[in-house]
Amino acid sequence: MERVAVGLLVFLSGAAVMVLEIIGARFLAKDFGGAFYVWVSQIGVVLAALAAGYYAGGALADRAPRMGVLAGLLLPAGALTWVIPDFSGTVIEALILRHPADEPIPLVWQKLDPALGSVVVFGLPCFALATVSPFMIRVAAPCPGHVGRTSGRLIAASTLGSIAGVGVSGYILLDVMTVSGIFRLTGVLTGFLGAACWGLGRWGPASRRAREAAP
Amino acid sequence: MGAGVAPGPGGSAMRFGVRARRVAQVAGVAGVLFAGAAAALAAPWHVVFEATSPYHHIRVIDEDGMRVLSFDGSTETQMSLSDPLRGHFEYTEYFHLVWLWQSRLSNVLMIGLGGASVQRAYAHYYPEVTVETVELDPTVVQVARDYFHFKEGPKQKVRVEDGRVFVRRTTRAYDAIVIDAYTAGRYGSFIPYHLATREFFELARRRLGTNGVVAYNVIGSLRGYQADILGAVYRTLNAVFPRVYLFPARESDNVVLVATCASQPVTLRQLQRRADAIVRGRRVSLPGFRTRVAAFRSLPPSNAHRSPVLTDDYAPVDGLLSGRTLRALEAAPAAPASPRPRK
Repeated sequence: MERVAVGLLVFLSGAAVMVLEIIGARFLAKDFGGAFYVWVSQIGVVLAALAAGYYAGGALADRAPRMGVLAGLLLPAGALTWVIPDFSGTVIEALILRHPADEPIPLVWQKLDPALGSVVVFGLPCFALATVSPFMIRVAAPCPGHVGRTSGRLIAASTLGSIAGVGVSGYILLDVMTVSGIFRLTGVLTGFLGAACWGLGRWGPASRRAREAAP
Repeated sequence: MGAGVAPGPGGSAMRFGVRARRVAQVAGVAGVLFAGAAAALAAPWHVVFEATSPYHHIRVIDEDGMRVLSFDGSTETQMSLSDPLRGHFEYTEYFHLVWLWQSRLSNVLMIGLGGASVQRAYAHYYPEVTVETVELDPTVVQVARDYFHFKEGPKQKVRVEDGRVFVRRTTRAYDAIVIDAYTAGRYGSFIPYHLATREFFELARRRLGTNGVVAYNVIGSLRGYQADILGAVYRTLNAVFPRVYLFPARESDNVVLVATCASQPVTLRQLQRRADAIVRGRRVSLPGFRTRVAAFRSLPPSNAHRSPVLTDDYAPVDGLLSGRTLRALEAAPAAPASPRPRK
């Protein structure tokens, strides 16, 4: 039961990251155009956020292996994702219109502007979602002898979630929902994951083990 | 490359006498002809340029006296090798009809360069009109210059940039905006969604003068092939411009939509009278201009009323292209067919 819950948590956080990545690239195109650089920067920025999130998640898990910590990261990330349609327009507008009108945008900024926009809009939510996997590996591994198996299982679950996120957002969501609706939905999902972490920490068996494992 | 340029045996004839030389020359010419014929039989077409840009696998192919620009295996543009003003796709001639609403046309913005069919024709027939072209792919600009007689100058400017980014940042005003940024690939068409939404058309309208017009190429037909995308683009243009007219091409599945800032409706008779006046006044010398006017259609496509208005927030262009979105919308009328505008 607990295994399933942990697997589902990691699966859904992997899915949420990829919904943000795919829908995000589409979202940025209205401001930065259909340029190849939009895709390049979106993929690069999301991977950078993942790297930072994995690093921070792992370090945090050793220091304070309490599910409440994860809830404290995911709840604000969910709120931030919810408000993407409301704040991003102003930020991106400022980014684009800082270049003098009627003159070509220098090539270096044609390449970097979409990346800056992507960092501002999607950096923090993806960072928070990435902390889930290493954190859960620390919390869910029953003993050091099982770290290999546990981490393998959870990374696989997270990656399967990412695959599902790519497919669902690209093939289905864009046709049936508005882009802002998809961001709101992803915000709700992230907030739900935060609440689930909090619940697991409070009542789940993982919390007991985590308390035992705590230094 | 290299069909017909195989070196003949004539080169070794230099040390013989005049007569021998002549014989050798004849043999050489025959040899070249033979080699050329053989090459032509073996390969009736050949690739004169090939590159992979960030957007397309681009090839320029010469075949049967025609030069073809191919993106990802499907033909974008063609041009006669003997006369660059011939051989183009018929639908591109409908882009000349903006004259019907702008009898003093002087400034045109074109989004999408391709093989420069329209740019070449404008430069030839209306050398006094300034044409600014925005093209996303730098390789396409290079190919148009090198292989499709596209010449830049004070009246023909080109900018490598995304069309929407350009329209949003420019402060200039245009008499007409021609949008042909739609590509057909081996697996169907691709429409850049951000150049088909209400927000984009609003940006475009802000760059037009009082009688400004937008001419927009849709790959599709009134019924059948990609009719859903035609209905949606029509409805979206109509959400921004008071009048939208259709010019279905005769030779291909293309429909050029003309959207006007002027709210006064026009009839075919009126347009034909305008066309007569323009042609008589020698402002337009394009052969067949009046024939193109006859394609005029003022009725909306039959599916327009149930098509969604495309917005930045909801533009399921890929689903519309495959025909599944409209079916889904019909099955569930509660789906966001035309979400409320966000400003």
